[in-house]
Amino acid sequence: MTAPPEVRLSMPARPESVGVVRQALSGIADALAFDEAVVSDMKMAVTEACTNVVVHAYGGEDGKLEVDMLAAEHGLTIAVRDEGTGIHPRPAIQKTPALGLGLPLIAALSDNFELRGSHGEGTEVRMSFTYTRDHDPADENPVQGTVGADGKWDPSATPPVG
Amino acid sequence: MQPGAHKGETTRAARHRDCATSIVRAHMEANPIVIDDTAGDVVVVVVEGEHDIYTAPTLRERLDASLDRGGGVVVDLTAATFVDSSVLGALLDARRRAHEAEQGFVVCIGDQVEPGVRRILDITGLVPVLPVVNGREEALAAARSDGKE
Repeated sequence: MTAPPEVRLSMPARPESVGVVRQALSGIADALAFDEAVVSDMKMAVTEACTNVVVHAYGGEDGKLEVDMLAAEHGLTIAVRDEGTGIHPRPAIQKTPALGLGLPLIAALSDNFELRGSHGEGTEVRMSFTYTRDHDPADENPVQGTVGADGKWDPSATPPVG
Repeated sequence: MQPGAHKGETTRAARHRDCATSIVRAHMEANPIVIDDTAGDVVVVVVEGEHDIYTAPTLRERLDASLDRGGGVVVDLTAATFVDSSVLGALLDARRRAHEAEQGFVVCIGDQVEPGVRRILDITGLVPVLPVVNGREEALAAARSDGKE
């Protein structure tokens, strides 16, 4: 049996919950010896994971957003979970059109990243962040592509040099 | 059912929602998005504090209202402390609309940029795309010339 998480947040999967999760994460990060740059990346990655739940998990219906934060010797593992219909493409809620940049950002900003889930069983994004870094994870997993003509992120497009 | 309660919602869930609503009301007041039209032909949308999927619809409204005036638009992120991909989506849509109407569109940051703003702009490579420049005066000048290209 796995150890219980140190912190579990359970909130409605609504836009207003995302900032509350970020604030809770800030408070927890303050209590741990994180580099400032890691805290910034962690807030961004967790925001993107929570936003994915709000936008995609429940097709506009009410649902739950759960966030576990588990501190260990070398860092913090954060799991963002929904009880939605699982991983498959769904239309975004119309008022919050998705750019499609969430998962590439999570991959670039976290030291480790895992996506779990299957059809009908919800989705979990599990991210790990070490307290200090000797390298930038964005160098290993850079965000590929740029925005396409349709306004969505196109991973195969070539970004302009600048 | 209490007034304002959502269909099928329990009392506990309604209380949770009311609590969340008051938190976010305070959030919106602490993280304003204001239209500054004192620069004449270019409207500046000033974005302060933390912004994400919750405030992105407000940003979209302000950007649309600014573009409706027909001139250039500058988005000033100097006092922003955090922006996510929802905000980038709003900025990119406004940029597309501006380009279609041949209106200038430029984003500016200050000399001291918060990591929560700098990082996402850097790793997405959107600095030359949006484009993002340093300082409001440079942005105003760029927005004026951008629309005339």
